[in-house]
Parts: sequence; C-alpha cells; structure tokens
Amino acid sequence: MSTTNILSLDTVLTQQPGNIASDMDGEKVMLNVKNGKYYNLGEVGGEIWTAIATPAPVRSVVAAIMQLFEVPAELAERDVLSFLQHLLDEDLAAIADQP
Amino acid sequence: MKKEYSTPALEVLDIK
Repeated sequence: MSTTNILSLDTVLTQQPGNIASDMDGEKVMLNVKNGKYYNLGEVGGEIWTAIATPAPVRSVVAAIMQLFEVPAELAERDVLSFLQHLLDEDLAAIADQP
Repeated sequence: MKKEYSTPALEVLDIK
C-alpha cells in the first residue's frame, strides 16, 4: 500500500520500530519484522537511515549526507527526499511530531 | 575525505 506524503526540508521523520538493521560489506541490510521483508538500503541509504534514528528534519539528513559524501546540495536534497518517501511508502519511517 | 556518492535506492530483497 502506498501513502502519499508531501515531504519538505522541514518535515521531521524518524525510524519506525520493528526493524533489525545490520551492516554488510559497507551496506545497510534490514529486516522488517512486521512484514517479513528484507531490504538493502545501500551505503548512502544506510546513512540516511542512521540519520533518522532519532526524529530529524529532512534538511539535517541532507546536511549529514553532504558531510559524508561528495555530492552537490541540489542532488542531495532531491535524492534524500525521494529515498525518505520510499521509506514512508514501505512503512519503515514515519513523520514525527515537530520537536 | 568525503566518500564517493551514489544515488540511494531502497531495494527489496527476494527473501521471505
């Protein structure tokens, strides 16, 4: 089931509980206990996942990625927003209350 | 030293 959320740089997201994540060869692999699916988040996706371990606004996730990787701001923003939307669609992340 | 960037993708693995 897909949900439609309008994400902005100010949206605060956090991980949904019930996932077991593990680092495998530099990439983050995760089991969702609720739906029994395994996911490969990759290296950049793994860092995005780590960045929302506690509720964080999208702009701080983008900043974290730009600190770790050689990437222009515009591309980082677009990719992080897209990836977070996928996490929401799979019910792996949730929009948190504003801090 | 920053790491090389690649567009993140959420891959669903075919393991049930």
